[in-house]
Amino acid sequence: MAQEEIEIEVDKHGRVTIKTIGIKGKRCLDVAEALAEILGKEEGRTMTSEFYESEVHAQNRIEIRNQR
Amino acid sequence: MSTVLVVAPIVIANWPMITAAVTAAIATSGFTSVQHHASNIAAQMKSKTRETIEVDDSEVLTDTFGTDEAIVVERDGITATFKRDSKGALQICMEGESVSKSQLRAIGEDLLGRVTQQYAYHRIVSELTNRGLTIVDEEMTENESVKIRVRNW
Repeated sequence: MAQEEIEIEVDKHGRVTIKTIGIKGKRCLDVAEALAEILGKEEGRTMTSEFYESEVHAQNRIEIRNQR
Repeated sequence: MSTVLVVAPIVIANWPMITAAVTAAIATSGFTSVQHHASNIAAQMKSKTRETIEVDDSEVLTDTFGTDEAIVVERDGITATFKRDSKGALQICMEGESVSKSQLRAIGEDLLGRVTQQYAYHRIVSELTNRGLTIVDEEMTENESVKIRVRNW
């Protein structure tokens, strides 16, 4: 299972950057938005392709090779 | 990584919270706290340059406290007085000799940034604690940012 983590950086001007790492789907927004909401005004948002992945995405891969 | 949010904090706090943020901020910016005597300051202000910074995105909650509190900090003859303005917002009055208004504003805005940083830090830690989340790492970076890493939920 991927590591789920939030990295928060508060710069010396007070601006806050919240990065979610390994948290997929809606859960990602729940945590990040809750923090943003208690702090103030959201100024920008970037989402990577990971956001659009399903929260459950286990996949088994079977390779079959011909052995001669 | 899946989401990055950038947030500009709005300082909404009662006076003890603001005092705590200012106290923590001056520790990293070379200012020291000085006793606030309104009459003395008024007498000294005559020959000084003054610049007022209105923090529009802020609200000083009065709670059971009055509205006339002030925190005065000083560095190299420049004083910064934090107080609540008539609209209930935070205001910083900068004063100093042999210094221009723009220099006072720059110093005041730098100080305000550090106060906002401390305020945001304490709000974040408080919220994370309330949610039962654990801070696994915390550091001050080279560019004086505070970095917090949270896990376990």
